[in-house]
Amino acid sequence: MLGRIGRWIDERAHISELWQSQMVDYKVPKNLTFPYAFGIMALVAFAIQIISGIFLTMYYQPNVHTAFDSANYTIMKEVPFMWLIRQVHAAGANFFLAIVYLHIFTGIYYNAYKKPRELTWIVGFFIYFVLLMTALSGYLLPWGQLSYWGMVVTTEIPTAIPGALGETISVWMKGGYELGQITLGRFFGLHIWLLPLILLGLVGFHLYLVRAAGISNPEGVEIDKKKEGVPFHPYITLKEGAYVMGYLAVFFFFVFFYMHHFLPPDNFEPANPFKTPPHIAPEWYLLAFYTIFRSIPSKFLGFIAFSLALLLLLLLPFLDFSPYKSARRRPLFFVMYIVLIISAMALTILGTMPPTPTNAMLGLVFTAGLFSFFLSLPIISIVEWGWYKARGGDKT
Amino acid sequence: MIKVVFFTLLALIFFYIIWVNNIFAPHETYEMPIQYKKIVEDERYVKEGKQLFEQNCQACHSVRYDAVYPSAVQANPNLKALQEQYGKVLPKDVYESTFYTELSQLKESFGKVPPDLSTMYIARGKEYLFNFILEPQKVIPGTSMPPVMTGRPEDTAKIISYLRSVSEPPPSEKAKRTLMGIVTIAYLIIMGILLWVWRGKILKRMGLH
Repeated sequence: MLGRIGRWIDERAHISELWQSQMVDYKVPKNLTFPYAFGIMALVAFAIQIISGIFLTMYYQPNVHTAFDSANYTIMKEVPFMWLIRQVHAAGANFFLAIVYLHIFTGIYYNAYKKPRELTWIVGFFIYFVLLMTALSGYLLPWGQLSYWGMVVTTEIPTAIPGALGETISVWMKGGYELGQITLGRFFGLHIWLLPLILLGLVGFHLYLVRAAGISNPEGVEIDKKKEGVPFHPYITLKEGAYVMGYLAVFFFFVFFYMHHFLPPDNFEPANPFKTPPHIAPEWYLLAFYTIFRSIPSKFLGFIAFSLALLLLLLLPFLDFSPYKSARRRPLFFVMYIVLIISAMALTILGTMPPTPTNAMLGLVFTAGLFSFFLSLPIISIVEWGWYKARGGDKT
Repeated sequence: MIKVVFFTLLALIFFYIIWVNNIFAPHETYEMPIQYKKIVEDERYVKEGKQLFEQNCQACHSVRYDAVYPSAVQANPNLKALQEQYGKVLPKDVYESTFYTELSQLKESFGKVPPDLSTMYIARGKEYLFNFILEPQKVIPGTSMPPVMTGRPEDTAKIISYLRSVSEPPPSEKAKRTLMGIVTIAYLIIMGILLWVWRGKILKRMGLH
């Protein structure tokens, strides 16, 4: 019976044809490594966030008087299993960003941003940027001390722009001169409607581009798909399906047994505009930018520096014009890549430490390390063009 | 192979520091003798702790998630009618506007309305609460909290045990959650392994391995 219904639908919708042409006849390189699974893991994480988020909106109240209680009493104690949904959503946000970071660094390592995949990279950058905005707006919603003061600090950042412009942006973000009901309302709207819809569109386009421009290769060579490729299904689907199961096992370990970081204790105190907590720092995924901002003595220059870091990430495909692809074939690039990841990790960890002069000095050193990666790329490219010509145009 | 080990270790160490145990960030630690920690964790002292709370703390503090309100509010005849309308736990805005007089009197005596303690166990931890309740001036110099419990560490631990029972799910629920977690993780791991084995068989048949 079910089979007959299935056939009836298929005769009209031609789903099996679509499956055959898009999943089975679609060929990918056989040598894709484990880090290629971060893409599908990010997609799974996104789906988890949307599903758990929909359930949370059923009980969450975007009202400064009741937001805290709706999150910590109604959701955590009153409604059965909502504690699980909230823990999944909170840990899910952190895991989503962690996977996205790993995905970005994988892309850099294998040079997946180079021709013909520049647009894939640029769309991916905007996904990352909108994701940061979504995470920031969602962090305000429980209306605890960390939520409140974290947002106070975030809305202060645009005031680094001199003149009336910075102040105007800051007031526009808050919907007034201080955080209140209007702020909560607009961040709630952004978090549940506008930003996820933009994300959904961008993710769809990103996936289309991965198909249209072809998947990159760890060896940095473009394969002839008709001769060398393996069918996407079942070769890759089952492999990455098993990886996703492993990822979910780790994820649910944190959801059930270690929520200390994802629902931080300090945020279980209701927002209090009259009491500044001793340590205010953004969440870990913003700490690298925060440390750059903090280490540079001038507020305006700090703002320029962290904007520049984001801009250089966006312009990566154009900074690197070497004929070679993948760090496996590029020793100079590999060295600078190590400098990049060490600097990015060190900046993040420095962000959790108190702002002593030594830490500010270390912050400047690692900021220099971060920028040196981006600025060395054109030089490396010129050197590698020299090698390329000396080898008579051999790409291997 | 060296690269794989290097990058994996680097990522694991990084996320361990950021998510689990940040050895670089400053931590405030408070001492608490082990026998009092045991009292806090013990489910038997919750009832006694609640009685001690009513005698020593309820004059000023509320535990709204357990429908415990400051004595002045509790004496107000409106409370019962409101609880019939809204349920035992009153919405914060309703609570603050209806009992404005009582809460402002508390505010006048202490400089601010004494905080609600429903989530304080999670927010501050038992060690902090233990030290603060015993000797408030030592932890926050200049606080308006009076040293009600000074010299009574055992009773203090019992009160914290009550606050823990309000913040945390009951033991039976906790056991259910642990079981749920173990079953979920075991299911995912087993499915992952089965998927991998199944893939091997399919690829062998297709001649792709």
